[in-house]
Amino acid sequence: MTDKTDRQKAAEIVRDAGGQIVGRTRLQKVGYLLELAGFGDGFRFEYYHYGPYSEELTEGIRMADAFGLVTEEEKQANWGGRYSVFTANAELGQPADADRAQFAAAAAEIDSIEIELAATAAYLAVAERCPDPWAETARRKPEKADGGRLDKAKIAYQRLLAVKTRTPLPQIA
Amino acid sequence: MSPSPRSQRIRDPLHNLIEFGTDQFEHTLWRVIQTRPFQRLRRIRQLGFSDLVYPGATHTRFAHSVGVFHTARQLMTIIKRHIRHHGGQVRDHQLQVALAASLMHDIGHGMLSHAFEDIGKTLNLTMAHHEHVSELLIRDSEVSAILCRELGSGFANDVADVIKGGRPGSLYDAVVSSQFDADRLDYMRRDRLMTGVRNSGIDFDWLIANLEIGDVQIGVDDQQLPPIETFVLGPKAIHAAETYVLALFQLYPTVYYHKATRAAEKVFSALMLHLIGLVRADHSHATGLPDTHPIIRFARDADTLENALALDDAVFWGALGMLAEADDPLIRDCALRMRDRRLPKYIDIREKLMPASRPTTAVEKDDAKKRLDRLTEAVKTRLQAWSEKHSTACPRILLDVASRPPYKPFRQTTGLLNQILIRTGDGRIRDMAECSPVVSGIETFELFRAYVDETDSDARAAVNAVVTEELGREADD
Repeated sequence: MTDKTDRQKAAEIVRDAGGQIVGRTRLQKVGYLLELAGFGDGFRFEYYHYGPYSEELTEGIRMADAFGLVTEEEKQANWGGRYSVFTANAELGQPADADRAQFAAAAAEIDSIEIELAATAAYLAVAERCPDPWAETARRKPEKADGGRLDKAKIAYQRLLAVKTRTPLPQIA
Repeated sequence: MSPSPRSQRIRDPLHNLIEFGTDQFEHTLWRVIQTRPFQRLRRIRQLGFSDLVYPGATHTRFAHSVGVFHTARQLMTIIKRHIRHHGGQVRDHQLQVALAASLMHDIGHGMLSHAFEDIGKTLNLTMAHHEHVSELLIRDSEVSAILCRELGSGFANDVADVIKGGRPGSLYDAVVSSQFDADRLDYMRRDRLMTGVRNSGIDFDWLIANLEIGDVQIGVDDQQLPPIETFVLGPKAIHAAETYVLALFQLYPTVYYHKATRAAEKVFSALMLHLIGLVRADHSHATGLPDTHPIIRFARDADTLENALALDDAVFWGALGMLAEADDPLIRDCALRMRDRRLPKYIDIREKLMPASRPTTAVEKDDAKKRLDRLTEAVKTRLQAWSEKHSTACPRILLDVASRPPYKPFRQTTGLLNQILIRTGDGRIRDMAECSPVVSGIETFELFRAYVDETDSDARAAVNAVVTEELGREADD
């Protein structure tokens, strides 16, 4: 835990993930995986519609945008919805922890649906002590797990397991 | 052979007769209603403290839950008609799971409805999270025992999954969670009826008559997923849809975020947070409650389902007499205020922070929103510090920051599931906001208020001074 404001913590997630995160879902899941990997600033997550979700992070990124720490640009997705692109502003400086930045950048590269599935499986393993978190993830999110996406999510998670962390990620892949 | 069951009827102020049939499924749900967790909902008011403003609003989660089931059954007839019309097969299991979920969606609700949830969030109490408690009760309690014995071993878990999903995964789930879910279609009308407000009315029969099933595109961030089927409105319902959105928009300022209701919630939260702190610091004697009181038991061990279930509105209101005689000044002061409805009066800080002229362009609106966010954060931080420093009993400044979009939000993504959808004459499914200038003009309802005792001129002056200083600081920048 730190004395930083939530807006500073939220902005630093974007900064450390290579300076840009595409999508609110991806931001949430990168934030959650950072907590799991021991790099977090103490955002609290609970299970929500799209897997682990932190209201504090949502509010933090809103304030980070209001205070000019990040810039949020809303774009039209091909499927008809809208999504946000968060870009860290220069005044945030460089990442303070190279290991955290490496991990955040690796997580932010994962496709939005795959990172949602992977973060959900990790959440189910840790928070709900689910014996087969991938099967449970597929059961809860069949429309997302279909089309080979669950396997891709497992591969993406395996890559994250290879990245240096402060706390070991749950060995679920 | 067991005796054949009788059909059961409930007289409801909104729906009139709600009947539970003699078939195995509905008879099983009737038995679920007889369980202790479900009967507890009779002692939890749907609108928490709203009867302090609208004396008639004493309706309960019990009545609402039964009403949601009734409405869900009406919605299912639309789904069945759609499936049969397209030569498909109605999946009875999924249909029954969704109906059961609609009945049980609130079974874990805590006392005083959402006020208690806020305390849970502040203290990270999972048993104050009604969805979590509902899940535990449905998966593993006398409720699950009945469901599994009568309807199959996996039935209870399937019901819990639909509630936990929180968004439509299949057409049947749309009855439980969508922009036209049974929960909302019941509470909008029930809350209006019981509060007596004259705005917020909807043309329910016309909406239902024009409710259709449509394929709606979904995605996550920039990634596309296959479309799902959910409720959309037919082209003749455009005006009814407009009224529906407006009704939702009006309910928030009029009922759910009414200033006196929110003031009561804030006093209740201050009382409960302080009480839990005292108990955890081993000072429960200062609360005025005996050690065996359900509130003390919960404060001591908030992770036990039994302790959560022992709490309801009646337990809190029944404790007020003892809390009003507590040694602790904050507990005593807050309890007396609640008992005698001596609620702090509101100051609309957001109104004071609003710019002199309304922004018109998208860029101006975005800038204005960010400016308000910055000012809100700065003023909130300073007033919280002032109140903590200068209060010895009920906090002298209670702050309230909230926002609510008119549509049901499926967070983390912005897509068509978040919108009221209408099938236009040319067969396209469009967001109502594209079809109606009235709907497109509706903004998220936001509030920033302080609640201060009407005799506390120092606190009122502090609020005004901080607002003036922050506006001045902004002007200097």
